Amino acid sequence: MGKKNFRLDNKTAYILLSPIVILLTIFVVIPFIYAIRVSFYDWSFYQDSEFVGFRNFYMVLTDRLFGEAVWVGLKFALMVVPATLVLAFLFANVVKNIGSKLSGFVKTSIYIPTIISGIVASVIFVFIYDYMGGLANYVIGLFGYEPKAWLAEVATALPSIAAPAVWLGFGLTTLIMLAGLHDIPESYYEAANLEGAGPFKKMVYITIPLMRNVILYLLVTGFIAQVSQFELSLVMTNGGPLSETTTPNLYILNHFRNDVMVGNSIAASLLLFVVLGSVSALIFKVLNSEKAIDG
Amino acid sequence: MKGQSLLQRTTLTIIAGAVTLIALFPLLWVIIAGFKEKTEVLSTPFRFFPKQWMLTNYTDILGDLAFLKSMGVTFGGAILFAVLSLLVNSTAAYSFARLEFRFKGLLWLYVIMTMFIPGMAILLTSFIVVDRMGMLDTFAVLVLPGVASAGHMFFIRQFYLNIPLALEEAALIDGADRLRIFSSIFLPMSFPVFVIVGIGSYLAFWNSFIWPTMTITNPDLFQIMQYLYNFRSERATELGMLMAGSALAAFPTIVLFLIFQKYIISGIKISGLK
Repeated sequence: MGKKNFRLDNKTAYILLSPIVILLTIFVVIPFIYAIRVSFYDWSFYQDSEFVGFRNFYMVLTDRLFGEAVWVGLKFALMVVPATLVLAFLFANVVKNIGSKLSGFVKTSIYIPTIISGIVASVIFVFIYDYMGGLANYVIGLFGYEPKAWLAEVATALPSIAAPAVWLGFGLTTLIMLAGLHDIPESYYEAANLEGAGPFKKMVYITIPLMRNVILYLLVTGFIAQVSQFELSLVMTNGGPLSETTTPNLYILNHFRNDVMVGNSIAASLLLFVVLGSVSALIFKVLNSEKAIDG
Repeated sequence: MKGQSLLQRTTLTIIAGAVTLIALFPLLWVIIAGFKEKTEVLSTPFRFFPKQWMLTNYTDILGDLAFLKSMGVTFGGAILFAVLSLLVNSTAAYSFARLEFRFKGLLWLYVIMTMFIPGMAILLTSFIVVDRMGMLDTFAVLVLPGVASAGHMFFIRQFYLNIPLALEEAALIDGADRLRIFSSIFLPMSFPVFVIVGIGSYLAFWNSFIWPTMTITNPDLFQIMQYLYNFRSERATELGMLMAGSALAAFPTIVLFLIFQKYIISGIKISGLK
């Protein structure tokens, strides 16, 4: 690095940095400090607050509904993330091997759902799951099944909301996988060909090990994004039937909207923040330890 | 491509085409269903194409002044948001990439730390802050809170770190100051990264839903996602109009994406992951 070019210039730097620092302070840092404070208070819009120590955290942790919401969030992420990754991985391998003209078109097309909002996606999928005229019942009808109330039945509600989540995430995930595939030197495969390795062997011994960090990245970011998902269930089911699709963030949001006491829900959101951080650290650890195995 | 048999190539092409079609299907369906007659929208048995192509749903929703207004307000807001976001984050990115100053490490830490604060944890207290500032029901409450973004700043800075120092050396010898170097050398080179960050900001604004529903009650400022959500609960029987409205709400985004797709697709790089 050409250190001589880095001249001390306090004034310019502070002028250029003041907008970002001021805005982040007002709209992120102050609310965050405030949130931490509120989580220790019995606080509401309508009365003086009172310091209650860890009571809010205790109440959240013992609230059966919050536990259920966390479980729903985990189940949801476990449905969406592996499905998206496997589909995207397979499809990225297809796209890598087709002509460049077609692949340009395919890349652009599959990216489009990624830019669609959760609200529009929800509206579309509510129509797809419509009991009478929806596509889902039409398709299972072709195979001779009775129509289902997809979003109202306990067994099908959560998977039905997972489907649009996969749809929204598939394109970007595929393109990131594809970028990873293109980074693997072609000579590795050529060497494997000389050794007489088949496509399956090449995938297991070359592609997947070399893609590990890309997959890890997608796993962690995907997991955090899906556990935090709430728009789909808010619009499609409003958390029902029962609380079968109430994800943690929807639980928190419902408390913001309905409770006079908000210390609880803020404590919940801070807890979630800590839990998500530890889970992603755990995933990182597990996948990193495999590194030791293949050296 | 090399060494593939015709059969292999045909199979891959067919799979690629089929998956692409499936990925686009939900969107195509809602666009086409918007052309159905009001009673036909969700009639049984399921039909993909309308019996008769009608424009009624589209003309009805476009005739709704509130819909047009929220499209316009959201679009204007999204553009303003993207421009401000580029301005605020790129100047900060430049400082961190090229300048030396007191407390640099500390300020860097302060800015980057905000990347790890989840939105939901500060949603309610942010609301209280903007309420105390008297910003509720203003255009500013939609635009200002999200403008500064450590993630975007970081992304632009990575790009600036890759610009060779030699480019600015001549200008420095000529005695140009830093602001001048930024505006005459860095800004013109920033186009590809600005497209990616700008579209990202635009999308975040256009698709935002929960923040507007909390902070905006004045119908003149309703955001498009808020409008669609309200429409669905208030005019539950107007399914055709809702479909047409959803399709139209996705339209500006898709057009913008198609214009800039070259930059966005090639911007998906994974350097730093390996």
